[in-house]
Amino acid sequence: MKVSLNWLRQYAAVDAPAGEVTRAVTFLGFEVEGVESTGAPRLEHVVVGEVLARDKHPNADKLSVCNVDIGPAGGVRRIVCGAQNYKVGDRVPVALPGAVLPGDFRIKQSKIRGESSDGMMCSAKELGMGSDHAGLLILPGRPALGAPINSVLPEGDTVLDIEVTPNRPDCLSHLGMARELAAWFRKDLVYPQEKFRGEVDSARADLFAGVSVENPEDCPLYSAHVVAGVKVGPSPAWMQERLRAVGLRPINNVVDVGNYVMLEFGQPLHAFDAAKIGGRRLVVRRARDGEKMTTLDGKERTLAGRMLVIADEARALVVAGVMGGENSGVDDSTTSVVIESAIFRPASVRWTSRTLGLSSDSSYRFERGVDPHMSLEAARRAVDLIVETAGGQPVGPVCVVGREAPWKREITVSAAFVGERLGFQIPAPEMRAALESLELNVAREEDGHAGPVWTVAIPSWRDDLDRPIDLVEEILRVHGTDKIPPARVLCAGLTAEDDPPVSFNRAAVSYLVGHDFHECVNLTLRPGPEITTWVSQAAAAELALANPFVEDQSHLRPTLVMGLLDTLLLNQSRGVPAHRLCEAGRVFLEHLGQNYEAASVAFVAAEGGGRSWRRREPADFFLAKHHAGAIASIAGVDLSAEKLEPVAGPGFGWQPGHSVTAGSVERGWVARFGLVNLAMLRSRGIEGTVLAGYFSILPERIPAARSRPRPRELNAFPPALRDIAVIVDKAAPAGEVRAHLAAFAASAAQGAFAAESVELFDTYEGKGLPEGRKSLAFSLVFRSPSRTLTDEEVGAAFQRIQDEVGRNPAYQVRK
Amino acid sequence: MQEQLSSLLAKAAAEFQGTRSRPDHEAAKARYVGPNGEFTALMRQMGSVPKEQRPAMGRLVNEAKERLGELIDAALRSVEEAELAARLGPPIDPTLPSPDAGPGTFHPLTLVREEVCRILRKVGFTVADGPEVETEFYCFDALNTPHDHPARDAQDTFYFPQSAGFANVSRRVPGEKYLLRTHTSSVQVRTMLKGPPPIRIVSPGRVYRRDTTDASHSANFNQVECLCVDRSVTVRDLKALLDYLFESLLGPGTKTRFRPHYFGYTEPSFEVDLSAKHLPKVNKEWIEIGGCGIVDPEVFRAVGYDPEVWTGYAFGMGIERLAMTLYGIDDIRVFYQNDLRLLRQFTGGILG
Repeated sequence: MKVSLNWLRQYAAVDAPAGEVTRAVTFLGFEVEGVESTGAPRLEHVVVGEVLARDKHPNADKLSVCNVDIGPAGGVRRIVCGAQNYKVGDRVPVALPGAVLPGDFRIKQSKIRGESSDGMMCSAKELGMGSDHAGLLILPGRPALGAPINSVLPEGDTVLDIEVTPNRPDCLSHLGMARELAAWFRKDLVYPQEKFRGEVDSARADLFAGVSVENPEDCPLYSAHVVAGVKVGPSPAWMQERLRAVGLRPINNVVDVGNYVMLEFGQPLHAFDAAKIGGRRLVVRRARDGEKMTTLDGKERTLAGRMLVIADEARALVVAGVMGGENSGVDDSTTSVVIESAIFRPASVRWTSRTLGLSSDSSYRFERGVDPHMSLEAARRAVDLIVETAGGQPVGPVCVVGREAPWKREITVSAAFVGERLGFQIPAPEMRAALESLELNVAREEDGHAGPVWTVAIPSWRDDLDRPIDLVEEILRVHGTDKIPPARVLCAGLTAEDDPPVSFNRAAVSYLVGHDFHECVNLTLRPGPEITTWVSQAAAAELALANPFVEDQSHLRPTLVMGLLDTLLLNQSRGVPAHRLCEAGRVFLEHLGQNYEAASVAFVAAEGGGRSWRRREPADFFLAKHHAGAIASIAGVDLSAEKLEPVAGPGFGWQPGHSVTAGSVERGWVARFGLVNLAMLRSRGIEGTVLAGYFSILPERIPAARSRPRPRELNAFPPALRDIAVIVDKAAPAGEVRAHLAAFAASAAQGAFAAESVELFDTYEGKGLPEGRKSLAFSLVFRSPSRTLTDEEVGAAFQRIQDEVGRNPAYQVRK
Repeated sequence: MQEQLSSLLAKAAAEFQGTRSRPDHEAAKARYVGPNGEFTALMRQMGSVPKEQRPAMGRLVNEAKERLGELIDAALRSVEEAELAARLGPPIDPTLPSPDAGPGTFHPLTLVREEVCRILRKVGFTVADGPEVETEFYCFDALNTPHDHPARDAQDTFYFPQSAGFANVSRRVPGEKYLLRTHTSSVQVRTMLKGPPPIRIVSPGRVYRRDTTDASHSANFNQVECLCVDRSVTVRDLKALLDYLFESLLGPGTKTRFRPHYFGYTEPSFEVDLSAKHLPKVNKEWIEIGGCGIVDPEVFRAVGYDPEVWTGYAFGMGIERLAMTLYGIDDIRVFYQNDLRLLRQFTGGILG
């Protein structure tokens, strides 16, 4: 809201400079979004002078030397001047030595190119009035010589653009802001004098018959006052000036009064031309569905049945609380006006305003709440001002439909409570003064065991205050938040730990960054069609938002790989090599029609186009397997023990035969890794192959405290090594063969010692092997915890293993 | 025999010097000490030496044997050295670039988030986590947001269809709608519902507002909030925490100021400004950095804490905005593009 300080000073003598007022407003809890000053600031030693003579400067082409008369007290001064727009006889502002112009420009006696100059004739800009620097400010109307310049120039004003928080609708008015500033600067608040008290001499039913309210739930209070015999014309200059200062265009005296009182009291008003109210009665009713009305802005609106309107017998005249209609307003021919001052339910006005896409100063205030107890006062103030500016006289009937219960609210608060909540002491008298400066008057003061206890009467416009803690804030606001004394943080130790997902995320990203991945962040919301590249249509449907803001951000992401591919593409398009990227964040998994939010960590490793003087082994599937396994282990999942299934189905983002999946939503985690679908990469314009992997886990499944490992005892006895090569079908998974072999090895020593490990170290196919077969070579390590093994016993065990292998028809020991 | 020995040694010395490879060396060794070697043959002649000369001859032969052994070992060592040199190749050019990409980097938003968490962990806060998909209860109701508050409006908040279910995001009110959380305060509510005070948590995380994307708005962004609930928590404690936090982040002499403000979940409420003239691209004396306040009694009531017993404070700020301030970045979208030219500038960043 725009607040004119000149206007505000009508109610409180806040004489501090604009900068200090701005600071006060800020610390009272209102953001100042803009400060604009107009007119001349207060200037000393700047007076009216008349140019008596103008001669060319002897040493400079563009300068003149003038004799300037500044009246009987100052005499005639010689002044050097560079402007060109004036002539002898003009009266202009003259800054005398000792004057300080805006920008800290100090005027003193000086010599300019050898000619002495006893002051300066000023342009509007030099006086701090706008930007006109074209020449001297020629003063119209031949003001008295020597008169102080401020008595001649229009009064300066500063307008603050203030953002009022939603809890303070009372401050959407000059009186409201004046009350705040009066408290800060400890000034009195002066209300406008009220002349009209609501009594009228006669009722003029011929002009206006009355009001009926059909929907009191949306309009708890409606008042109409009639002023007859008005003469519509321009409003007085002072009113126009104030309205313009806060950005309103003056219309005519009646409309301007409505706006003026709204900005003064915060109560939106509406003025009807009584002659345009068909049937001379106003009805507050719901709009008929599809009812049409042209609002003041010239647009035809189609109304909905939930909207409230003010209507006459035939048609809607006003969208209640939002905007008037084109055809019922006050114009030059109006002679009698009906002034509406009403209260409309905030939610109703908000809905109407949003639905119509139409907001106004009025709807803005109603949405935030208008004080019903000030409504009639505002109406009477408007009557006063209409009579003052447009003539006429108030007549009956005075219609008031609905009444608010009398306002009374008290809060009891003790000085001790305030001190406890603040954590520092403010003297009790100062606390009380702070409250009362905001018209939060202490009705009773009692002695509590630790200082006074106050019962505070809350005024009707402070509906936001209803608990003791609310008054703590009021006291602190007026005391000044800049006076909160410094302190140190005191903390007692708690045994709590970071939540498991936090630790998992941190450890997993640290792991990947340690392996040369760059961590990225991408948006959670993705375009719908892209989702179906990764999950089924049905799953994608479950991930859709009800109200996306833009089309390409309509669905929750099911995998982080999508965003990482975006990142690859962006860098590629910018010519920046990008190879290894990772991301941690939330993903959303669909399972049997339900969504699950999961913590996920993903990585991509792209071939990329970078050249190098030395070639490295290119990354392959097993790099993805390695990292996916490492991340899973951080979450307590041992991927090496898991069955890896091929990623099924075409169009699921992954390259068939080169990608696998493990886990499930039911088990609480899903791991997936391998090559990203090449056709999909190509269609997106990503060059080369991309390996990717992710591990997603439901946050509640991440173990809180991992059980500490109990390492088995180590011994120094030497291992016995044996190698075995097994010829198997080409398609046989190595992991399966290893598992069989490990099982044979576990029993081979018959409990006398252990087969410590069985590891695959070579694979071979080709020459020397039958078609369709391959050889897998394993290294077996035997060790006893208590002695050195003999060749014989190891040999016997190894033989048993070979025999076992030989018994399986699918296997053949390679000699 | 003496002459035979010394001439043999001289010949051996010359020959071993010439060996360059292991096979050469083995062959030369065989020529002297192998079963048919020259030295072996000489040894066999010892039998024919007269008895009285044997002690002297024996000594001579032993000396020669020792000398020969040294020659063989030395020759082997030089062969081994030559082999090693061949394997290593010429000395490296240390100025050639490493062909390996990297090092990896943490994202700047992660670095800032973790720095804030680390600072707060030192004064007893632990990091709390909660779902990004939330319900109206946790996001609004429990935080004393009026039912007709604009923040709840579908114009400002992302909702899911009534039919959508999130099986691992618990609802408080049966059938209430799911939405994308608009702040991480919902984590505070979930934490408080889990157990009694005292509580000191910091909850960083991603939040969502239905807003136009521009230089200062992103479809999702990150917040970090902290909540302290204990007996006798005061406004002064809150100010102390923020002074500590920002002095830790920005160095000694950093100042904060409170401007009274309004939030539904705190009373009194403040906006926090930071005096940060020394930061890049900051040309204002005060920049707004977050919001805070004393936890509103209504919030405690909603989670079943007795507001007569417990008091608390809460603070929240945007991680992107803080990161922009710290690093002098003036477009929020830069964080979500992941241009590696930006990310690489954060090389060496650690989570501490």
